[in-house]
Amino acid sequence: MKVIDIAIKDMTRSFRSTFALIFMFGVPLLMTGMFYFMFGGAAKSDQGFSVPVTKVVVANLDTGGPGFEAASSAFPVGTKAHSLGDMILTTLKDKSFANLMEISVVDNAEAARAQVDGQKAGVALIIPADFSQRFSDLNGQATIELYQDPTLTIGPSIVRSILSQFMDSMSGARLAVSVVSKQTGSTDPAVIGQVVSQYMASIPTGDQSAALLDLHAPAASKPAANTVATIVSFIMAGMTIFYAFFTGTSTAQSIIREDEDGTLPRLFTTPTTQTTILGGKFLAVGLTVVVQMTVLLILGRLIFGIQWGSLLPLVLVTLSTVMAAATFGIFMMSLLKTSKQAGAVLGGVLTVTGMLGMIKIFTMGSGSSPAWADLASSFVPQGWAVRGLSQVMNSASLNEVLLSCAALLGMSVVFFLVGVLRFQKRFA
Amino acid sequence: MEKAIDVQNLHKAFGEQKAVQGVSFEVQPGEIFSLLGPNGAGKTTTISMLSCLLHPDEGDAFILGHSIRKDAMGVKSVLGVVPQEIAMYEDMSARENLTFWGKMYGLRGAALKTRVNEVLEVIGLTDRAKEFIKKYSGGMKRRVNIGIALLHKPKVIYMDEPTVGIDPQSRRSILDSVLKLKQEGTTVLYTTHYMEEAQELSDHIAIMDQGKMIASGTHAELVKIVGAMDRIRVTINSESAKVLETWKTVTGVTKVSAEDGTLTILADDSNRVLPRLFESAATRAVRITSVDIQEPNLESVFLHLTGRALRD
Ligand SMILES: Nc1ncnc2c1ncn2[C@@H]1O[C@H](COP(=O)(O)OP(=O)(O)OP(=O)(O)O)[C@@H](O)[C@H]1O
Ligand SMILES: [Mg+2]
Repeated sequence: MKVIDIAIKDMTRSFRSTFALIFMFGVPLLMTGMFYFMFGGAAKSDQGFSVPVTKVVVANLDTGGPGFEAASSAFPVGTKAHSLGDMILTTLKDKSFANLMEISVVDNAEAARAQVDGQKAGVALIIPADFSQRFSDLNGQATIELYQDPTLTIGPSIVRSILSQFMDSMSGARLAVSVVSKQTGSTDPAVIGQVVSQYMASIPTGDQSAALLDLHAPAASKPAANTVATIVSFIMAGMTIFYAFFTGTSTAQSIIREDEDGTLPRLFTTPTTQTTILGGKFLAVGLTVVVQMTVLLILGRLIFGIQWGSLLPLVLVTLSTVMAAATFGIFMMSLLKTSKQAGAVLGGVLTVTGMLGMIKIFTMGSGSSPAWADLASSFVPQGWAVRGLSQVMNSASLNEVLLSCAALLGMSVVFFLVGVLRFQKRFA
Repeated sequence: MEKAIDVQNLHKAFGEQKAVQGVSFEVQPGEIFSLLGPNGAGKTTTISMLSCLLHPDEGDAFILGHSIRKDAMGVKSVLGVVPQEIAMYEDMSARENLTFWGKMYGLRGAALKTRVNEVLEVIGLTDRAKEFIKKYSGGMKRRVNIGIALLHKPKVIYMDEPTVGIDPQSRRSILDSVLKLKQEGTTVLYTTHYMEEAQELSDHIAIMDQGKMIASGTHAELVKIVGAMDRIRVTINSESAKVLETWKTVTGVTKVSAEDGTLTILADDSNRVLPRLFESAATRAVRITSVDIQEPNLESVFLHLTGRALRD
């Protein structure tokens, strides 16, 4: 089949051209990559930052304060605590921190330090015996010893920040204690223990561990990560579509370039029909864009972890986009006479139509896109391609993408007919 | 016997520019036929019409009986065309190019492979067949350009100035391959503006100028047009304009043409004309610095018919 031979020849040449490859794959990936790294690579997964889990060994030596006995309702994690040390330990063991810390308990300080020295744990936390006592004593200094592996930085700092968060909230309790004791003149530990318990119960957030999470960077990036992942996905989608159209036009440009190089006239001196020659060249444009889009979608998944949506609608939208990009290229080339002209005009046309088509992505940050943006984007094939692909990414079904695909294919038919007729006339 | 090429009154104009005006000629099978003419004579336009790339405004031509107007596919299937401008894919190797073009001529599989190897041998590029064309010298490119047209062993080959701008060695090898084609019975339509090439290769020569065929025949027949006339090349120590017009009126001189300090004179008898030229030069204070008397050739014919030199 000569059509296939011509298509293969054209594709061989395209994929041999470093310039073409850069614009086919390099630039769209690079642009997306720029955004990806700008947002700290947070788009990679739904878990936000992936921070190594720190092994924390706790020696809770706290013997409790006089009368200190917090009820289960009185502090976040809902178990009974006999001492402040117990409260800290339970807080750290909360499953919200499970992906940050792995807690183990030993019963003396030396054993805890030994685990850090032996690199079995990253951080040792030693809560002294008189911790509750000193805390209850209004003039006392309650301190916890944090013993850490000097080679680690992130793990210990997370533990430290969780602890300081905890201590801050406890000093609120301490303040409450001082107010109560001044007013009642009582320093009875039993009274103080009760005040602390009540204070803890009355903290407005109700869920202490949730409050801690919100204030800490690693965990706080959770909701942001999703937004960033979404933005990066849509940027990649936009880039894929923009550069699919770019490739469509630049490979279609080979028709004009071959005419100028004399290889097209030479083809016309061989016993090969015009339909075969133009057909082969059109086929090459289509196949090149298929290869490009497929590779970009796969790399988008592998590099940036983008979820493109379910396969069937994705394939349908991709093929419709390929048709539109290829025929758009052929159509544009049929309007232009020389490759010099093509170079000058194309950049402008591709940029303008591409921008119009991607207007929704640009306005995405500001919530819903304005009506005029919707309207403007529906005049260019890129607009429908973006719409179709976004629908698939928002897990649309096959039926839901049909309109976008129909619009793309409808435009393709028009582009194709005009392009074919004009080229047939030109090379008749 | 059926004519290989039968051209009947072809016309082609590009707007106001009448590129070809009523060209007719015949080429017998197995002949080498040359179209000789200066730049812009209409050689490429004629070849383009004969290879169905351009529609003639008027007239028709038949290639082994196939009309260029009515049976373009028939024409293309018996034809090999070597375009004037090198036309192939620079980012593909010689072997890849030949294989691709072979497919376009309908060759496939083992036959194609064998033929590609044969052609590589003929054009002497077997050793460098894997290199991209863009790494080739001008002469090597020219050879591949020709090789492509040989792949399907066409009965008729057009070669449009295949030796332009290359070194003498490559030129020699191209001329030899044209003669070899003739030996194999191929009909060759060859265009050139080098009269030596036309003279060496051709069975028949047609001289073209400004879209018209001004003479045609064998080399001997053409030279007879200028008869026993001598061609005298004279160089002088000043501008040729000083003597050009007066020399045209000198008794015995038929034509005079001038190009940068060299004058070419067609004369009945150089022995009688030369003293008059020296005398005329002396009266205008012009010194003749060299004189060269040559046998009549195609150059003389062109000068005789057009009053201009063939070379530009
Ligand atoms: N496509 C075209 N458009 C306009 N004018 C053309 C075109 N092709 C050729 N011509 C004109 O027709 C005339 C004949 O050109 P042609 O190329 O046939 O000459 P040629 O004998 O092949 O010359 P050369 O030796 O330079 O190749 C020239 O005056 C040229 O300018
Ligand atoms: Mg020419």
